[in-house]
Amino acid sequence: MAKPLAIAVEADSSDKWEAQMRKGCLEMAVLATLWHGKLYGLEILRALERDSQLILAEGTIYPILNRLRAEGLLQSQWVEAEAGHPRKYYELTGAGRERAIRMAEMWTEFSAGLGSLIEPVLKWARKTSRDNGRSRKELLL
Amino acid sequence: MTNDSRVNDYLAQLRGALTGMTLAEREDIVEEIRMHIRERIGDSPASLDEILAGLGPAEELAGQYRTGLLVQKARHSISPLLILRAALRWALTGVEGFVVFWIAVVGYLMGGGFLLLALLKPIFPQRTGLWIGPGDFEFTIRMGALPVSTPALHEVLGWWFMPVCAVLGSLALIATTKLLQFLMKRFRWRTPLAQVMLAHASLW
Repeated sequence: MAKPLAIAVEADSSDKWEAQMRKGCLEMAVLATLWHGKLYGLEILRALERDSQLILAEGTIYPILNRLRAEGLLQSQWVEAEAGHPRKYYELTGAGRERAIRMAEMWTEFSAGLGSLIEPVLKWARKTSRDNGRSRKELLL
Repeated sequence: MTNDSRVNDYLAQLRGALTGMTLAEREDIVEEIRMHIRERIGDSPASLDEILAGLGPAEELAGQYRTGLLVQKARHSISPLLILRAALRWALTGVEGFVVFWIAVVGYLMGGGFLLLALLKPIFPQRTGLWIGPGDFEFTIRMGALPVSTPALHEVLGWWFMPVCAVLGSLALIATTKLLQFLMKRFRWRTPLAQVMLAHASLW
């Protein structure tokens, strides 16, 4: 009975870790989404989902945008849209572009550094996934 | 209840919970959320229940706005009250915030305590001060507004106690404020974990 519980706890920790990782890069993702031009809130949500697989609760994005605007990284403007109602568009300021560049550089440096470290883990995972005999969990236990 | 009245109710709750900001800021936020709801209704088959659930309870949504702006203001403010409020709100979100909050409480209490002693000295000159003398551990220092019962203790500093406490109190308040501002910039505000939903829940 102990083993399934241990595996469940392990999987749960992995979920939390992945959530923390995604949470940590949320601000960079929002800034990067606006790199090519102005977007409104719902467009930003969809771009995050489409391009980075970051799915946020819809209510989460607006306070973040509001805070980034208050920090001077974004500026916003209400624009009368074809949809028949105005939309609040956000775009990067100069400071926002600088921040996005700095974050992207740091992210690349960080992930490249970790890449070589985790390479043996990935090699092992790829090798065992090709092994049709026993499942990966069997090999680990 | 019609969809329009439900939306209006939600927005009224949101408006009511958006405290600590200007009327223009509040209305701007409410309008943006109104447009989001309208956009979602016209754009997908999602029901209003799903849309409002996606936004979360109005009080929680307002709380995220308040927290973000409060911490943002506190980063540039020198008001201990504002910084303490931001630290308290931050404390509710995780370990980092909890530590920052306790630094704020200890630092401001220390600063406030020194300033209080400086004020008490002229009112209770015999009972407020710094005394040195023999004690349980061969040597003792007593500081504060205490009854002096041991004749062996002798007061040092005298009236200098006032400026010394005033300076120490001011330094403690300034240092705490600067440290908290640094920490608030260093550890950026983060979205509560519960609101980041995963596209792919498991790595396995």
